Amino acid sequence: MTMRRLPQQPGEVIDRSQPLKFTWNGKPAVGYQGDTIASAIAAGDNRIMSRSMKYHRPRGLLTADFWDPNAFVQVDDEPNVRSGHRLLTNGIDVGPQNVWPSLDYDVKAANQLVGRFLSPGFYYKTFIHPQKLWPAYEKVLAQFAPGGTVDYESEMAYFDKRYTHPDVVVAGGGPAGLAAATAAAEAGASVLLVEHEHHLGGHLRYGTEDDRALANGLELAARSAGVEILLDSTVTGRYEDNWLGIVQRSHPLASERLVKARAKTLIVAAGLIERPYVFEGNDRPGVMLASAARRLINMYSVKPGDRAVVLTANESGDQTVADLERAGVKIAEVVDARAGGNVTATAGSQKAVESVTLGDGSTRDADLLITAVGWTAPTSLLNMSGDRPVYDPAGARFFPDRTPDNVLVTGGIAGDGTLDQIVEHGRETGALAASRALAVAHRLQALTARAMPVSDPEPAMAPDARTPLGRDPHPELYRSTTHGIVDYSEDVGSKDLVSATKEGYDSVELLKRYTTATMGPAQGKLETVNTVAVLAEARGETIAEVGTTIWRPPYAPLTLGALAGRIFEPERVSSVHSWHVANGAKPILAGQWIRPEHYGNPQAEVTNVRENVGIIDISPLGKLDLQGADVPKLLNLLYTNKWSKLGVGSVRYGIMCAEDGVVMDDGVTGRISENRWLMTTTSSGAGSVWEWAENWLQTAHPDWDVHITPVTTSYTSINVAGPKSRELLSRLTDVPLDNDSFDYMQVRPGTVAGVEDCIMWRIGFTGELSFELHVPAGYGLHVWEALMDEGADLGIKPFGLEAQRIMRLEKGHFIVGQDTDGLTKAPTTGLQPLIKLDKDDFAGKPELAWAMGQGVGDAADAAGMDLPVLVSVQMTDSSIVPPEASQIVRPNTNEILGRITSSRYSPTLKASIGLAQVPPSHASSGTQLTVLLTNGDRTTATVQQHHAHFDPDGLRLRS
Amino acid sequence: MTMPTFQSPVTASYEPTPGAALTLTDESALSKMVVRAAPGTAARGVLAQAFAGSRVAGNVLIAGSRPDEWMLIGPADAVATRVSEIPTDGHVSLVDWTHGRAMFRLTGDVASSAMEKVCSLDWSDAMMPNGAVTSASVAKVTCDIARNDVSGPDGGERAPSYVILCDRSFGQYLFDALLDAGEEFGISAVS
Repeated sequence: MTMRRLPQQPGEVIDRSQPLKFTWNGKPAVGYQGDTIASAIAAGDNRIMSRSMKYHRPRGLLTADFWDPNAFVQVDDEPNVRSGHRLLTNGIDVGPQNVWPSLDYDVKAANQLVGRFLSPGFYYKTFIHPQKLWPAYEKVLAQFAPGGTVDYESEMAYFDKRYTHPDVVVAGGGPAGLAAATAAAEAGASVLLVEHEHHLGGHLRYGTEDDRALANGLELAARSAGVEILLDSTVTGRYEDNWLGIVQRSHPLASERLVKARAKTLIVAAGLIERPYVFEGNDRPGVMLASAARRLINMYSVKPGDRAVVLTANESGDQTVADLERAGVKIAEVVDARAGGNVTATAGSQKAVESVTLGDGSTRDADLLITAVGWTAPTSLLNMSGDRPVYDPAGARFFPDRTPDNVLVTGGIAGDGTLDQIVEHGRETGALAASRALAVAHRLQALTARAMPVSDPEPAMAPDARTPLGRDPHPELYRSTTHGIVDYSEDVGSKDLVSATKEGYDSVELLKRYTTATMGPAQGKLETVNTVAVLAEARGETIAEVGTTIWRPPYAPLTLGALAGRIFEPERVSSVHSWHVANGAKPILAGQWIRPEHYGNPQAEVTNVRENVGIIDISPLGKLDLQGADVPKLLNLLYTNKWSKLGVGSVRYGIMCAEDGVVMDDGVTGRISENRWLMTTTSSGAGSVWEWAENWLQTAHPDWDVHITPVTTSYTSINVAGPKSRELLSRLTDVPLDNDSFDYMQVRPGTVAGVEDCIMWRIGFTGELSFELHVPAGYGLHVWEALMDEGADLGIKPFGLEAQRIMRLEKGHFIVGQDTDGLTKAPTTGLQPLIKLDKDDFAGKPELAWAMGQGVGDAADAAGMDLPVLVSVQMTDSSIVPPEASQIVRPNTNEILGRITSSRYSPTLKASIGLAQVPPSHASSGTQLTVLLTNGDRTTATVQQHHAHFDPDGLRLRS
Repeated sequence: MTMPTFQSPVTASYEPTPGAALTLTDESALSKMVVRAAPGTAARGVLAQAFAGSRVAGNVLIAGSRPDEWMLIGPADAVATRVSEIPTDGHVSLVDWTHGRAMFRLTGDVASSAMEKVCSLDWSDAMMPNGAVTSASVAKVTCDIARNDVSGPDGGERAPSYVILCDRSFGQYLFDALLDAGEEFGISAVS
């Protein structure tokens, strides 16, 4: 079907019965189910996969897996797809990234001509002067930014999140990881196995028939033991107390899922990652790692070339020779590095290897160079566990040093051995992990009240009695006698590293940041040790002396979508919400509540309340049920005024201050019965007041008999306001509503519209005769609709938050948090009479006593304190309503004196009214203020005598 | 005037899927009474339930929801009967949370897997056995949760079942969030 597709291979993972069509680089192509995008492209005899970041050199497959730095492609509207890993799907459009006009002929490849000027630090050195040109530089440089194209019109992907608490998490599903997971599960542990690739078995999957048989057996055993397996998933980070971040790319519904796992023990079985070799022309298409060639041949049935030179320093390289021969690739030369053989360069066009120069200077014609020069131990998760792996020159890689008790290591990352030895080490590790998890689980259960009780003493952490793995000798092969690319992702060569070292960036951490080596998408998995080796050579030191960078999370890049996970944005609605929606309310989000802002015309809603009757849904109003003999003590402590004599059926307004005397909340509290009070708070303050009260009770006064229960949502709260409100309510309740029976600032329990256990308050925020109803929420809609029905002939209309804001401003009521701020001490709000310094104590009393002693709150004498005072203002020009937060300035200057805190046009008064914070010197009635508008114009306002613009004597609300 | 009928906070309607392995049931209409009783009061002896655990007495779930707080959940008459048996001498308080709390039941062998998607707690049998009671953030909403295993959706063997209570105002949001979490398990809503 395709040019480089081999006949069926015994271990292939493709399903030839399911061909998949796609386009690559604008041309039709075909692959199979199970192909990666890269393997399907390679099967079509496409050698060039991408262009390099800086020099736009043609690049071909290097590792043919997740880490391949040369295989980033654009798939439809998704940029930066790892084609070496992403599975092929039908109908996708795959293209190269950041090339112009095409992958084959990229104009930006001209960068190579000025390559010697693009040394490390080029940007920092070149574009720092003159600084004013940076915006221009930035636009030009953006044209050279690597990566694909973001389509801002793309549909948002769905991401997911999961929390889990397995006994054992195994990072890596190779032979050791599988054996460890099985042993742990067989020991009774809950086990989560996380495998980076799409298949279990690690390198066995592209190995011999025996290898695959072993992998299959290990996989079957793991599944039989009940191990939970996440394929195509990566443990991206290990944090305190084995808190693990796992990105799952294989979720059936979500693009990616972030799994947050709290593992009792972590087994790191991440295997080894084959390392590239540094030499001249090592990034020419056709240079490939041995593991890449084996993957292509054995898993995807793709012939990687026609004539190969193989540089081998280990058994894996030797096995590759056999695989290549079986695939029909002619072997031009096998160069045995163990016997001193070497490769120094490739030659040919930029697009393909044509010959290979050996260490003795001879050349071999070949279109494929396979290197097998050793491995990098991906110790990231060990670094994150506090380990500092140690370099062993005899084994030519880093090995773990010391890990915490709850982190164990097995497999190739821990050492070498036969497959039997590796599997046995895995099994021992799994058993040890399960045993240690048992100790951790015991401790957790003993500490958690709801958990299954434990009676035995906590078992000791089992000692590590595993038979350690050995270390096979391996030649140290990092750089040949020539220079080449070290970091393929960042286009950083060994010459660049040497040059930077000479410039003084000779510590590995500095070198990394200066050259960006190891900072690309491969995150050092391919480049770190080569970088360290080149640096060590440049410094004339050993790799052990130079040390290495410390790997931090994430182990592999993950999307921001995965980090964000599912978006939880709780919304609260009242029982009347459906009615509001059905009746055209314009919603507004207030805190988490969705509330009606208005029903079309807030000004008309005001007028209707002033003339007839209106109802507003005020369910978010905070409500706390207080019971106990010591409630009056608590109220005296929380509020600034006195509460000891509040009788049953009475209501009192109070303000609460923090300990610094700053207003934190206000509201009314009513005594419902001898032993029960109901406190209301601001809508936004319900939670904080509850916490504040509980804090006092639990710390300062645990001896007081008070129970506080939040009941905000137990009631649908409805304010019935307007001169006809009494008449309306009287049609729905038997509770006497006349002034003698039910006066202003009183509360009555009763039945409304057939609903028992309602609470009626004779209070209101609008300045009108009004009744606040608290109805058991399950019947809230019923009562609301009954009010609307019964009030039809009275002209009833609903009103929203905006109308309420206008009316409360007409009445001069301030809103905590809007008209006050974090510096507003209670006396400056105009409520000095509510501050009773003759009480024994209350929250904020010492500060308020001091402040009032200094004259705060008394405009005439408070100049020395200079704390802003809340005043009521009216604009000279009624057509101008200054935006809230407009500055009040000294005339003819920009000196800020205060600000408008609330402002509205009053349809009742036909005036522009507001509240403002001003200095005491400007707080006297009649003072002219200059208000700076947001457009730069100025207008004037006059300080009013009362906070209330409307009905200052309260005749209407007491009517 | 029409007679009042209890309105659930879950106002949307859902089509149940017969035979679903996971069900989410709206049980908001059940009576829920909060009892607070100070140490030394006789009420504690009658309630006889330790903190963080629960038991079923008759058809009332008695949950030790906080160190000095219990929730009684069940049919209104049964709860009322239980409440009437609680001595109120001493520092004891009763608050009816029937209207203040939405209440859902998530049932099925994969219920804990669904909970893992919305809550960071450990839902294993060891850490959250049948009868356990806790408080936690579920989909960013503070909830009380009791594990109260019942017969599974197919009426067969007992299956894990979580009773989840939250502020009524969050009810529709949380119901939808749980449905979303259960989608991959084939959840069916019963409202």
